[in-house]
Amino acid sequence: MVEQVATLPSSREFNPWPVVVFTCLLVLAGLFLAPTIGVILSSIKTTREIAEGGLWNIPTRLFLGNFVEVLANPAVHRYFLNTLLVTLPATAASIALGVLAGYVFAKLPFWGSNLIFLVLISGMFFPPQVILIPLFQFFNSLGLIDTLWPIIFIHTALGIPICTLLMRNFFATVPNSLREAAILEGANEFQVLTRVALPLSLPALAVLATLQFTWIWNDFLWPLIFTQSDEKRTIMVGIVNLKGQYSVAWGVQGALSLVASLPTLIVFLFFQRYFIKGMTMGAVKG
Amino acid sequence: MANLILKNVSKTFGETEVIKAVNLEVSNGEFVVFVGPSGCGKSTLLRLITGLEEVTDGQIIIEDKDVTHLKPSKREVAMVFQSYALFPHLTVAENIGFGLKLAKVPKAEIVARVKEVASVLRVESLLARKPRQLSGGQRQRVAIGRSIIRQPKVFLFDEPLSNLDAALRVVMRIEITRLHQNLQATMIYVTHDQTEAMTLADRIVVLNEGRIEQVGAPLELYEKPANKFVAGFIGSPAMNFIKGTVETADERMFARLGPHVMEINKPDLKPGLAIEVGIRPEHIAIVAPEEGTLTAEVEIIEKLGVESMLYLKTEASQDLLTVRTDPRQTIRTGERLGLKLPVSECHFFDQKGNLV
Ligand SMILES: Nc1ncnc2c1ncn2[C@@H]1O[C@H](COP(=O)(O)OP(=O)(O)O)[C@@H](O)[C@H]1O
Ligand SMILES: [Mg+2]
Repeated sequence: MVEQVATLPSSREFNPWPVVVFTCLLVLAGLFLAPTIGVILSSIKTTREIAEGGLWNIPTRLFLGNFVEVLANPAVHRYFLNTLLVTLPATAASIALGVLAGYVFAKLPFWGSNLIFLVLISGMFFPPQVILIPLFQFFNSLGLIDTLWPIIFIHTALGIPICTLLMRNFFATVPNSLREAAILEGANEFQVLTRVALPLSLPALAVLATLQFTWIWNDFLWPLIFTQSDEKRTIMVGIVNLKGQYSVAWGVQGALSLVASLPTLIVFLFFQRYFIKGMTMGAVKG
Repeated sequence: MANLILKNVSKTFGETEVIKAVNLEVSNGEFVVFVGPSGCGKSTLLRLITGLEEVTDGQIIIEDKDVTHLKPSKREVAMVFQSYALFPHLTVAENIGFGLKLAKVPKAEIVARVKEVASVLRVESLLARKPRQLSGGQRQRVAIGRSIIRQPKVFLFDEPLSNLDAALRVVMRIEITRLHQNLQATMIYVTHDQTEAMTLADRIVVLNEGRIEQVGAPLELYEKPANKFVAGFIGSPAMNFIKGTVETADERMFARLGPHVMEINKPDLKPGLAIEVGIRPEHIAIVAPEEGTLTAEVEIIEKLGVESMLYLKTEASQDLLTVRTDPRQTIRTGERLGLKLPVSECHFFDQKGNLV
């Protein structure tokens, strides 16, 4: 097909690169989509159909029993609630702290602030395995094992570097004269932040909200380490737990996986419209 | 009554002293223009008055109150920024009313006052727009509106017209003059453009390297510059400077300008002193070659309509001399002319640039 197009007589020189790039992208898209398609296919089949025809068979009819089972399961409700109880505060706290720190680094630098910034950012490069055992011992000594608190704290802390980095860089693009104009109008530093800098930084906030929400929602490691009882599990650990209850329930697991990924999808779609550039356009110059 | 007093105000950034012991009194309702070359410290001086920068030394007094260590918002000054600094996410009305809202003024009053200011600045039809939907001149008006609504004691303008094109600059210049007449407010206006300074100011403060070179009314600076810097900075085209030395002969004093001499009436000057003679382009008289103090050859003629500029090569100076003439002159390039320099119109400076 590609060769055919290439040998067609053409007034312009044929450029093969778009075709190559497009083909590569198609292949990659297929590879990335394959697991999702597998999960969708298994979620709409009965356990029997899966056992007989395998995972990849196209089912002859739509079976929604897996979804009904998942949505009616009180354990699943608990998982969802727990995940929300972790994700919402940790997302909000990490962004709030990143906003405050980023504003100081961008607009109120002090002696040594650049060094502190670097140290803070380097936190991004710690592999979680390194801090896992000390953290476990720490929260154990506080008696917080099998609660949601350690997960909230850890995700808040782990989110601070990226939130600070992004917010600092975004605040740096807000002209200093806007801050000074607001101050001359009587604003204090906090009002400059809330009334001028933040409204101009909606794109950065939207990116961070999506990023942090997705990352924390989908996390498997920390809830696995810090929770033990089923009542404290989050959704990602819950998907695995379902296996124990219903032999290997591929269909139910597939259905729960899809349901579990819905909130991140919704968050993305909601914030997507703020991912626009040029918010500061028109602030200065003519 | 003095509205603003600067006493020995200094500002140092790290090692560099940017403002050097500036003393100034501005009266109530006066329009004062700070003028000087780029980097001379004009903006810094304004920022010291607003409180956006802290003075290193000295005192700032606004209406008999020492504000040296007060926060910017407590000084009751307003500033219009070179970049306008409008809040891009707010409408024109919200921009103008920003300070009132922060001060928790009742909503109805804010609306009324914004309307009033908008009508003064003729931006009523734009109140619902965002800054990016405005032209440069409209943005400038909104920025001025934001500054006047709180009725500050001192208005500060930092090169407010430098982002506008030449035609709009003239229009806005007139509007600012009108605004000053209407408000009768104390205004301090910064510019590097001496034409703007001359046209707007009641009084001009010429700054150079963080120091005040001279303070005075526009014509005073034009006619009696205190030093070579002011003489060269004020006036367009700039004053001509010719290097020379003082000589005496027969009890009379002369200035030797290259191969030429001109008689001067400066009995206190010592023979042999190196001086510079400054003379404005309109004061050089053109005569026949043999009658002039200097002889010159026309190199370039600029015809501006209302007048013509001649750029002349002489043996007295390496730089071309500028002469302003009647546009109906029939002088051509390459022609030889005589030039007369009336002593009464000449300014004499020593090598340090001070008037002698
Ligand atoms: N925050 C600062 N830190 C260090 N140097 C500064 C700062 N602000 C201004 N300067 C220096 O002070 C001098 C005067 O600047 P400025 O007042 O902006 O000049 P102008 O407005 O007359 O062009 C310049 O040499 C500038 O580099
Ligand atoms: Mg400046």
